[in-house]
Amino acid sequence: MSGQKQSRDQPYDHGHDHPHAEISQSERPGYYEIMETAVRELLIERKLIGADEIRRQIEVLDSRNPALGAKIVARAWVDPAFRARLLANGRAACEEFGITFYDDTLLIVLENTDKVHNLIVCTLCSCYPRPVLGLPPDWYKAKPYRARAVSEPRKVLAEFGTIIPDDVEVRVHDSTAMVRYLVLPKRPAGTENYSEEQLAALVTRDTMIGVVPATIDTGRKAP
Amino acid sequence: MTQTENLVKRLPNDIGGLPAEPIQRTDHELEPWEKRCHALADVLDFHKILNTEEKRCGVEALGSEMIGKLTYYERWIVAFANILFRKGILTPADLARKMAEVARRDRLPPVPRVDEPGP
Repeated sequence: MSGQKQSRDQPYDHGHDHPHAEISQSERPGYYEIMETAVRELLIERKLIGADEIRRQIEVLDSRNPALGAKIVARAWVDPAFRARLLANGRAACEEFGITFYDDTLLIVLENTDKVHNLIVCTLCSCYPRPVLGLPPDWYKAKPYRARAVSEPRKVLAEFGTIIPDDVEVRVHDSTAMVRYLVLPKRPAGTENYSEEQLAALVTRDTMIGVVPATIDTGRKAP
Repeated sequence: MTQTENLVKRLPNDIGGLPAEPIQRTDHELEPWEKRCHALADVLDFHKILNTEEKRCGVEALGSEMIGKLTYYERWIVAFANILFRKGILTPADLARKMAEVARRDRLPPVPRVDEPGP
């Protein structure tokens, strides 16, 4: 996380191309925050939801981050039987690993190989494998990535510094409300003697979105 | 293709394959209210009040101007309110009253009425 403020022109085209000012808290009167508080309190007053449910879900959201996905990937690298189960049914294998799915989504795990490089996107909105990676970065929800990942994936990958050789097929997977994807990156060369924990440290968020490969250095320059 | 034909064929969310600017690797830590808004969406989903598909359609129904000008979670909370109105779970009057109460209570500037010009 860079801590950079969200700017207003990211997510959609809105008919002009000038840059917008960075948004800071003081600039906004808190209208939307007041709306959030009001909606939540009305629903709690009417007993449609419980106040403790919101608190608990915030704890769940805080407990999900790319380190979970990294553990899954490292296990798949060292345990071929687990890898096979993960590729056959991503959700079941993650649940077996102790990762609960708080939403109603399926998970399809996509294996990168010498012949195929996978990339995930949600062109319509921001669907993402939240139970295993946490919330997506802003760029994943913004127009440039959503618009271009499906039509010029190699150019998009190059903007992340990733050059895919011409003889490797690039497959782009467009997520939906019900079906989410996770990339299983290739195990980096030179890691034959690494422990599972050392391997997990090489697996960053972006390697599991598919915008960068896992390398012996990736862990040092997260995400 | 005419400009309006394109509007019919592509709703505001449907941007896959369109030309767009280079990727900027933007990110930000969620504000506390943004995280509460996300948790609210999940809890509403658990109670079968609002699912992911309805959420996306709700954002799309805001129209391209609001979609362009509001931030991600601003779009969400406005879409949730509209969906709750449509389902008869809340009324606009309920929300206006509660927002005025919250604004007063939290000593924030009063929320302007929707029929009054903004500041």
